[in-house]
Amino acid sequence: MPTLDLINLRKQFGSVTNPVVAVNDLNINVADGEFLCILGPSGCGKSTALRMVAGFEEPSGGDVQIDQQSIVNMPPNKRPTAMVFQKYTLWPHMKVYDNIAFGLKLRHLPKNQIDQEVQASLELVGLGKYGDRYPAQLSGGEQQRVAIARALVLKPKILLLDEPFSNLDALLRVRLREELRQIQRNLKITAVFVTHDQEEALSLADRIAVMSKGELQQLDKPATIYARPKTLFVADFIGAMNMLDGEVSGGVVKVGNQRLPAPAECVAAPAKIAIRPEDVTVTQTGEGAWHGRITQVSDLGHYRKVFVQSPDLGMLKLYLPKSVEVNDGEMITFKPTRFLIFQGPLPPFEVKL
Amino acid sequence: MKIDPTPAYRQPTIFGYRISTRTLRREAFGIFALVALTLIIIGPMMTVFLWAFAERWRQPALLPTEWGLSYWYETLARNDITSAMPMSLGLALTVTALSAIICLPAAYAFARINFPGRQGLLLSFLAVNAFPRFGLYVTIAVVFFRLGLVGTLPGVILIQLVNTLLTMIWIPTSAFQNIDRALEEAALDVGAGRLRVFFQITLPQVFPALAAALLLTFVSTFYEAQGALIIGIPGIRTMAVLMYSYINNQIVVQYGAVISLMLWLPSLVLLSFAQKFLRGNTVSSGFGV
Repeated sequence: MPTLDLINLRKQFGSVTNPVVAVNDLNINVADGEFLCILGPSGCGKSTALRMVAGFEEPSGGDVQIDQQSIVNMPPNKRPTAMVFQKYTLWPHMKVYDNIAFGLKLRHLPKNQIDQEVQASLELVGLGKYGDRYPAQLSGGEQQRVAIARALVLKPKILLLDEPFSNLDALLRVRLREELRQIQRNLKITAVFVTHDQEEALSLADRIAVMSKGELQQLDKPATIYARPKTLFVADFIGAMNMLDGEVSGGVVKVGNQRLPAPAECVAAPAKIAIRPEDVTVTQTGEGAWHGRITQVSDLGHYRKVFVQSPDLGMLKLYLPKSVEVNDGEMITFKPTRFLIFQGPLPPFEVKL
Repeated sequence: MKIDPTPAYRQPTIFGYRISTRTLRREAFGIFALVALTLIIIGPMMTVFLWAFAERWRQPALLPTEWGLSYWYETLARNDITSAMPMSLGLALTVTALSAIICLPAAYAFARINFPGRQGLLLSFLAVNAFPRFGLYVTIAVVFFRLGLVGTLPGVILIQLVNTLLTMIWIPTSAFQNIDRALEEAALDVGAGRLRVFFQITLPQVFPALAAALLLTFVSTFYEAQGALIIGIPGIRTMAVLMYSYINNQIVVQYGAVISLMLWLPSLVLLSFAQKFLRGNTVSSGFGV
């Protein structure tokens, strides 16, 4: 059963005197058949981590194990991994068939078996009749499908994908994403998918590893990442979030002119209060109600995005159901229903009202 | 009075194609440039061509008044010509092959390895073309004379190699640089070894550029006369050198014209070969067109 473990994985570039740490002490375990996304802004080290698994970068420290066997001393052409690159990377002088058959020919399979497997993998990505074409005759989406077929035909233990859809337009990106998820489910293949697109990660992954500046921030299920971000970075990076400065003292956190309850475990110190735009309800004026002037309303289909200028808290972003009547320039009163209190590097406290 | 619905207005035509005056005005510069270019390129070639087959061509006749092949017979009957042709061909082939052996690995290194002094070294190949060649050759001739290389084949090969460095290193270097490394990584990824990646993935990508560089090198070496003249005389006489002496020492234009036509032949053959066997635009893409 293929599993993948990154153990204290480290990569630094640059000179000894002035090292640039791209990946720092990364620990990620990928279970058999799991679809794991590594998510982070560009330059966070996610691609470098993936390239160390594929063998294109040599780790400065730590280990990469497949099925508990270290592969760091294996050259990339011997590793049981297959990679799908961002820029398709089909060989332009070979037809689609030859692109896919290339790896099979290296394994000295009989001709008719190669034919069968190439055809089967082309069918899998919905390009059954494209074997005779050259890559230049295909659209970007088709090329990336061929690249996926080329990786899958070798039956790798681990499928690696390095931002495979980021060169495609939005609509196609969503479609290919769903197709890929379906294929991965059917084949039960272990996959690691690197992306900077949080929506992609949230919709694809069994678990997401969020990285920032070479370090793992959080490794959790998508729902957990969204609901219980462990660090301020994750809270800010995943989804929309209202970040407010507050001060905890005696079971209360003071935010602007408002007071919110805080768990007893909170220390009396400054804190960051994180409120999701959807974790608010519109209320009557009264005790504990927040208020502000609506500056912008955008209709986003099944909900509305509303910007509210609060006199003491600045600009807030709210997602409100369509049942609530809101208009530009009007005053609105609302209450948070759920928020997180971040203090230093500790995991946050969740408060539900 | 009857009014013609389509008023007759004369449209200018070019080779039977109707072209509106507006298009003509807009494209006037382009058409002018095309005609001028054709005259500049084809004109001298036509003149040489005509002279080679002219028995008699006096002012102010536009074309030769008498045609014939007598100068061809005369030229081809000469011993120095019949021995110079194989010499020129062999020399150009040898120099091109040697240059490829020396320069192509160097170009790969320039493209792939970031060693100290890389930029400076690359620019240094330009130096050969930056100074007047003649001065360079004379200086080298002094050194070669001491080494006993003057008038020998190795001497001429060496001097002509110097000329090929720029083309043979710069074009392939930029071709190797332009290859997307991910293409090679993808091949490694599916299990190909380094050598196989180079021969099956990298080389086919740079092939048009390499073909272009080889072609340029062969043709320029074949025509090279200064170096061959200074270093090769008297032992080595190439076609290009002979052409110089014929043009310098003969009052009769026809000998020079016949030899220059003979000099065209190999490059014509090569170019048509390239046209036929390299698909469509691959050669021009090698030149960066």
